[in-house]
Amino acid sequence: MPVLEELRQAVVDGQAKAAVARATQGLEEGIPAEVLLRDGLISAMQEVGRLFEEGEIFVPEMLVSARAMNATLVVLKPLLATEGSEARSEGKVVIGTVQGDLHEIGKNLVAIMLEGSGFEVVDLGTDVSPERFLEAAEAGADVVAMSALLTTTMTNMKAVVEALGRAGLRDKVRIIVGGAPITDRFASEIGADGYAPDASKAVRKVRELLAVKA
Amino acid sequence: MTQVLHRGPAAPPRLRVELQPTGRRVDVEAGSDLLSAVQAAAVGIVAVCGGHGACGSCKVRVVRGDLAPPTDAERSLLGPGELAGGFRLACQARVLSDCTVGIPEGSLSASQRLAFEGGGVAVGADTPVLPVDVEVEPPGLGDLRSDAARLLDAIAATNGLRPEVDVPVLAQLPTRLRAEGWSVRAVVSQPERGLPRLVGVLPPGTEPLGLAVDLGTTKLAAYLVSMESGTTLAQAGAMNPQIAFGEDVMSRITRANESPANARLLRDSVVEALGSLVEQLCAQSGRSYYDIVDAVVVGNTAMHHLLLGLPVRQLGEAPYVPAASDPVEAPAASIGLRLNPGAPCYLPPNIAGFVGADHVAMVLAAGLGSTERTVLGLDIGTNTEISLSYRGHLRSCSTASGPAFEGARIRQGMRAAPGAVEHVRYVGDRFLVQTVDNAPAIGICGSGILDAVAEARKAGVLDSRGALSRQHPLVWRSEHGPSCLLVGADQAGNGRDIFFTRSDVNEIQLAKGAVRAGTKVLLAEAGITEEALDEVVMAGAFGTYLDVGSAVAIGMLPAVPLDRYRQIGNGAGRGAVEMLVSRDQRSLAREVAKRSEYIELTVYPGFVDIFADSLPL
Repeated sequence: MPVLEELRQAVVDGQAKAAVARATQGLEEGIPAEVLLRDGLISAMQEVGRLFEEGEIFVPEMLVSARAMNATLVVLKPLLATEGSEARSEGKVVIGTVQGDLHEIGKNLVAIMLEGSGFEVVDLGTDVSPERFLEAAEAGADVVAMSALLTTTMTNMKAVVEALGRAGLRDKVRIIVGGAPITDRFASEIGADGYAPDASKAVRKVRELLAVKA
Repeated sequence: MTQVLHRGPAAPPRLRVELQPTGRRVDVEAGSDLLSAVQAAAVGIVAVCGGHGACGSCKVRVVRGDLAPPTDAERSLLGPGELAGGFRLACQARVLSDCTVGIPEGSLSASQRLAFEGGGVAVGADTPVLPVDVEVEPPGLGDLRSDAARLLDAIAATNGLRPEVDVPVLAQLPTRLRAEGWSVRAVVSQPERGLPRLVGVLPPGTEPLGLAVDLGTTKLAAYLVSMESGTTLAQAGAMNPQIAFGEDVMSRITRANESPANARLLRDSVVEALGSLVEQLCAQSGRSYYDIVDAVVVGNTAMHHLLLGLPVRQLGEAPYVPAASDPVEAPAASIGLRLNPGAPCYLPPNIAGFVGADHVAMVLAAGLGSTERTVLGLDIGTNTEISLSYRGHLRSCSTASGPAFEGARIRQGMRAAPGAVEHVRYVGDRFLVQTVDNAPAIGICGSGILDAVAEARKAGVLDSRGALSRQHPLVWRSEHGPSCLLVGADQAGNGRDIFFTRSDVNEIQLAKGAVRAGTKVLLAEAGITEEALDEVVMAGAFGTYLDVGSAVAIGMLPAVPLDRYRQIGNGAGRGAVEMLVSRDQRSLAREVAKRSEYIELTVYPGFVDIFADSLPL
């Protein structure tokens, strides 16, 4: 099925238009949306993650690949729902940028890499209050992932950890943090379970925390 | 058996840290980190990330003494050679015994090049201070008017003004009037709003002076200006000593938030630095601080707030609101500036949390405040402020371009200090470089890495995604990933290869993408394309030294003919001088701040896509 391979390559290369065209072509050829998602998009993002970890590509390329994946998802998502073919989820991740912080690029990359690795992702957006993190976690989540780009807002991560603790959810969810000023030391200081320096390692960290087999 | 008396937890022992090359000593508690020790000794060390172990800028070398083993952060940010050579990150290394620590040149915040452009500005009838030469009637038994009353009567008789007089000026009157034999030059302020005030009493014929300050996050620039001629008589610069508390605005806000004492420390350190700049200016010009009767200080919103002692917490969190954005006029003495005791200090308005009075000043200096032409103005730094004037309408934004242009986060990055590669050209089959002061190359500064990327792209060493061509003879895979050689070890000043990495290219892509994306948003909001730009004005140190051709080539700046570009040097400083000598410019500043439409990029629809589109080289 060359169209699948072309779709995969288009996403790896970050060519959004080509990716959408290949996905549309695939659907016309009768390939199920679920297969296009799994063997096209998810497989592509795993390749992107691998290239990133090997230092072959960097954030700019990752961003354009993520965009190509998003553009293609817009085409596939309605079909995935109608087909009722719920892809097997590796786990549910609630993700957001903490209160006071409007930066989303890094958080979006982590979300897309998680999605591309088969996780169900609930993206709360930016400037997310501890209450909203808590609400989303109460609705059922395996992992809460928080991002902060500013040294002024990274301290707000602690409030979320504490809110989850007060609600008695601390044993039920794993907490992962990331963002430019965050370090391993900071993560353990605020009582998070893990830290990852980039989107690709975030996926690995989440897997590790949930002990899901890669 | 030895008997041990337990009296509760013992205080940690005090240990002595000696700093080289200054020889300063400081006592610290066992287990404290070296960065705190260096800061306590008031040695200006660069700590780009504010001591979070994230940037690797606070490198020091341990000469002797025991320290806790290197942390993970140190192992990832320092090469194995550096660790073996005794290099540590000051913010990570914890002191376990008395020790001696060397601070390398590259980690010191001093000895860095400062960019100024002075020049005169015209002084007109709208001068904020008016000298009035008066002969005051001496008191006698038949004339018992107070000193102040007789001076004010004399001023009124001369030009009809009846200024208010504040206590600090009253306090100097009796001595001054008698010392000058009742013949003085009174200086009366003509504020933009409010009543005229008597701001100083000078010896007759003395040229009144003004002080203009550009209070930058990284650098301070001060200008001593004749309030009569508008000529800059002296200029001086220094590093902003707050760098020791974190290089970027956010780290400093974080530090100020920690405690009121920290906020005071931040304020005091910069007030002290301004004081010593005033001393330098006076020494250079042979004038007295007493002759300085007016001042203008411009800075970004955070610098403004920290100087005035205003709270900064709300600046650090969305929606990033300033405590005050209107112009402030306060006695200079109340801010801690030692000028004539009656001198006021004017702080122009801020536009938004991330677009401060320094940008307003730059807008004035670039002529964007009063033009019908289509002009784009950029002040490129860690945060890049951009303004677009189109049909008299001003739009502005601030974009997080990051510290790459300052040489930070670049593997061999450094500031524009001697030995920094500042310009690069690809000739034949190799790179030729020019360094600051033509010293042998030891690193790469912002304009150098920008040139290197542009030239490498032009020569096909790089592709549009930023990947280095493996086929090229200058490209190899170093321990830091794909790398490209600029200067061989035999030519370098430190005996090591000078190169840039794929990761450095990535940093430049992110930085230039941010600048370009901000520009695109302003153009889109105005509904025009970049071809419509009549002029592009670049201010700031980096904006002045960068090669515009290179910046255009990599898509950082709009692709308009190079003759539409103008590099004006320290636009903020120039704008401050303009406001210093002109009430009209102060009014214009107020108007610019008021009618400037601020666009918050982080919530701008589709910004991430615009940014991603701006990344290819």
